[in-house]
Amino acid sequence: MAESEPTGGGPVADVPEQTAQGQEATKARPVGILLTFVVAFVAIAGVAAFFISQTYTSPNYPSGIQVAKPEGTTVVAGKTVQHVSLAFQTYPDSTGTIDGKSIHPSGNPGWPAYGFSNQFQVPANSLVTVTIKQYDSGGALNNPWFGNVMGTVGGTATVTSPSGKTETVTHWDPNNVGHTFTMRGVPGVDPNFFLNVPLPTNANLPTGSSNDDAGQHYTVTFSFMSGSKGTYAWNCEFPCGQMVASFGGVMGAYGFMSGFVHVV
Amino acid sequence: MSFEDQVDEIEANTILGGQPFFSRAGGKIFIIWLVLTTIGVLIGIYAPHHLLTTFLSPEGGDVWATMVFFTVLAAPVAGFTYAVAIYSLLAWRHKGGDPDVPPPDGQPQRGNGPVTILWLGISTFLVVVLLFWGITVWSAQQITHPNTLQVKVTGQQWVWTYSYPGTGVETRTLDLPINRPVQFNITSEDVTHGFWPAALGVQVDANPGVITVIRSTPNKLGGFTVQCSQLCGLYHAFMNNKGAVVTPKQFASWLQGHGATPEAANQVADVDTSTDSTTAMSK
Repeated sequence: MAESEPTGGGPVADVPEQTAQGQEATKARPVGILLTFVVAFVAIAGVAAFFISQTYTSPNYPSGIQVAKPEGTTVVAGKTVQHVSLAFQTYPDSTGTIDGKSIHPSGNPGWPAYGFSNQFQVPANSLVTVTIKQYDSGGALNNPWFGNVMGTVGGTATVTSPSGKTETVTHWDPNNVGHTFTMRGVPGVDPNFFLNVPLPTNANLPTGSSNDDAGQHYTVTFSFMSGSKGTYAWNCEFPCGQMVASFGGVMGAYGFMSGFVHVV
Repeated sequence: MSFEDQVDEIEANTILGGQPFFSRAGGKIFIIWLVLTTIGVLIGIYAPHHLLTTFLSPEGGDVWATMVFFTVLAAPVAGFTYAVAIYSLLAWRHKGGDPDVPPPDGQPQRGNGPVTILWLGISTFLVVVLLFWGITVWSAQQITHPNTLQVKVTGQQWVWTYSYPGTGVETRTLDLPINRPVQFNITSEDVTHGFWPAALGVQVDANPGVITVIRSTPNKLGGFTVQCSQLCGLYHAFMNNKGAVVTPKQFASWLQGHGATPEAANQVADVDTSTDSTTAMSK
């Protein structure tokens, strides 16, 4: 290569020796490298901490976590256990308020929601009796299997219609379901735990109705034995959302038709 | 170091700089490659024992062998790439100097016929070998065996359910009899899911409106987990359940426990009830 032939954009001949500024830059290099690693570590750790902090969280309802109400003790399979109860509702419009209480903190018009909380707390290894008032309309399940009552005491649920008729059921017509309350164990807690209770559709309520239309409701009551301590997930398995298979929108967002049960 | 000296050093160390490949830079890169390749091969041989699940079927063994074979075969290629990259970063980086003077350009890269032919030849050979391996393993899973147990697998947000035709049983757990070929007929009720009972050496997508068939023959007793391997929505992480490989009698009993009639359970489980008394007496 000829000495005078440039090989790049910089000067070729008479390259000056390092200036004092350059020498200082060379000395500062280890500090810069160390600083780069520190900044990179802090950035990665920050992102990791953010994601970890998001684990198992969902929008907090104004009413916070609903703690189960003590009901004394009872005997299940010959064993005396603590008995608690929970009561909540399903509404067709998550933006509404009932008796001055907001159904959902960030409600979306047309999105149904469980209310007034999406997180529940129950004691471990106890009998939990749940009462759900089902105000919303519905239709057909994607999979009729979710029309079965599973995981409850006796494998049954009690349904009281708007007219006051009460019946004990092991399954509900999969073409007339409003929502389901489906609760499951999660990896590392109790993966075999599974509970599914279909809630009848409120046939008198057209889809898209407001909560004001929802005067009539079904009441579904069931009991189950809470498992070991840990956080369990619950959700609705009725396709009450938007987009693909009606499992987008409200079904793809935490806190409307899903939440957690904290077993303590 | 003057600019000319830097250029000379680059020329002297560059692979295509007129020097024999195995001189200076080439030799050092070769040593790095040898170390990295050795590490890669050792990882390929020993890591699957610790990282993969305990397989309960020959198909799982195929997965294990494929993992080892592919990793070992890829180790030299990856090792060479990393060796060149590491050496370049360490030896040919700009080592400071006056910030007002930019670093000199490297030697212009020109075509090198032998290297190109060698690279393409090795790549082609490796791809053909891997293709042959993959087709062979895949073909083995396409063979239909007599007396195959049919299981319909349905994925839906966010639960797997399993139906056993002829029994009326649909469950959330996947029990299978040992030493009996199983054909999974997989579909989805909504979005795409991934049916992945890793211990059976099976992983296949569950697509809505399509039935995908895959086979396995469990040959070891034990429990396993079925997971969804396709990000499918809010509760994808919770879309898993347990399964077990059991004896045919246990399988028949399990079917009955989930609502099948004794006749249907024994028939589907392929249990010969006429030999029960003989079996009991022999025990």
